[in-house]
Amino acid sequence: MANYNIPSELRYSRTHEWVMDLGNKRYRLGITDFAAQHAGDITYVELPETETVIDKDGVDCTIETVKSSEDICNQITGTVTAVNDMLEDSPETVSSDCYGDGWLYEVEAENDEDFSSLMTAEEYEEFLATQED
Amino acid sequence: MNKTPLFERHVAMGATMAEFGGWDMPLWYKTGQTAEHKATRENCGLFDICHMGEYIITGKDSFAFWQKILTNDVRAIEDGQAQYNFMLNEKGCVIDDCIVYRFNEEKWMLVVNAGTQDSDFEWLKKNALPDMKLENISAQTCKLDLQGPNAPKLIADIAGREAIEGLKFFRFVDNVDLDGIKVLLSRTGYTGEIGFEIYCDIKETVKLWDLLLARGEKYGIMPAGLGARDTLRLEAGLPLSGHEVRPDVVAAGTPWEFAISYEHDFIGKEPLMAAKGTIFAYAVTVEGKRKPGDHSKVLYKGEEIGVLTSEIMAVSLGMVPAGFIRVNKELAIDEEIELLNEKGKTFKAFVKANPLVKGTSRKKMASML
Repeated sequence: MANYNIPSELRYSRTHEWVMDLGNKRYRLGITDFAAQHAGDITYVELPETETVIDKDGVDCTIETVKSSEDICNQITGTVTAVNDMLEDSPETVSSDCYGDGWLYEVEAENDEDFSSLMTAEEYEEFLATQED
Repeated sequence: MNKTPLFERHVAMGATMAEFGGWDMPLWYKTGQTAEHKATRENCGLFDICHMGEYIITGKDSFAFWQKILTNDVRAIEDGQAQYNFMLNEKGCVIDDCIVYRFNEEKWMLVVNAGTQDSDFEWLKKNALPDMKLENISAQTCKLDLQGPNAPKLIADIAGREAIEGLKFFRFVDNVDLDGIKVLLSRTGYTGEIGFEIYCDIKETVKLWDLLLARGEKYGIMPAGLGARDTLRLEAGLPLSGHEVRPDVVAAGTPWEFAISYEHDFIGKEPLMAAKGTIFAYAVTVEGKRKPGDHSKVLYKGEEIGVLTSEIMAVSLGMVPAGFIRVNKELAIDEEIELLNEKGKTFKAFVKANPLVKGTSRKKMASML
């Protein structure tokens, strides 16, 4: 299996988003190293607007690549409080610095369960092992 | 999953691998698809195409065999010439697109797609004529594609200028010596740029790959994956088997009519002629920064007239979303259509002349050396 960076402090989804706990029910979301490597060159990111009410199973963000379009699943039910405007000019940051400046948006969650039900880094690593030879 | 002899090389170079037609192939390397696309348009790109299928056909009946199963007329080509073709089923739909190579009247090679090679071979066997021999040499054959304006310079550097300076578009030469490796050098490809499809013994694959990358360094060579191959071929106006040309779609009315000659009888000809004027295909560009999504519906003045069959970001047009549509209505260049994706979002798009990008493929060889 190829090597992927999986920071231990984050939580992960089966659709390869990461979620960071910012405290006070606020969470930040982005795509994992695995997703970044498989997405290829990112040309545009369509972000939700702040104050949009989103559902954890919904899609309010799409990443456009040279090859395809990737839907980002919200993972957290709540209200969008911030979006990464920097991606307008440099969408490629989503893959070149996926856990840092390439974050997508922040949400004020309705509950804590959405976050705690996501995979830990260890669980995500095991999950990835089932995804590839 | 099948692996080509270059699998270890791809992984060592940090390629992102993916399944394609039953093969584990590089989508792109560390440099990324955009850089590989640009390198091929501006310098040269090297593609591992060992997954594709090759068959050798010999015997007195081989000429008649081609006339029966291929849409183009092989009377139009001479020894040392290749020809782009469709293989149709009885319904006039495309089993596969392929290139036939004529060594002489009784010896030919057919090159087909990876995912369809077994079913293609069954089709060939089923339609074989008495005095001919059909041999599947796919497992023994290496195929590397060297494409881009600097490709002739690189080959001339290794094999000598005289080896290729007279080589015209869609011609090939056999037994060319590339630093001790005997290859068949074909001036063909699927990127719209001048270049070569290079065939040799599968055992020489890694050696040939390493040789071309090492000697190609001063010509700006870059290994390129299937991602760049797709953006390049779509810009160059070429169909992809399973998308634009399919076993359930009649081949009539496409921009790829150059693959069909009605001057001879071939399997699928009647339904093909009957469907003329009912199916059309066009290149399109899409407004904005988003691709609508494969299989989006094509709407014309509110009426559904077809489907989006492929889509890319056209790198050479400055990252413009683009694709091919198949419709039941004849459209004019620059005509506006709408694309409706499965999420219900519509995108404005425009019919464009095919190809979207005109590369160097037909330039005089001598002018590229």
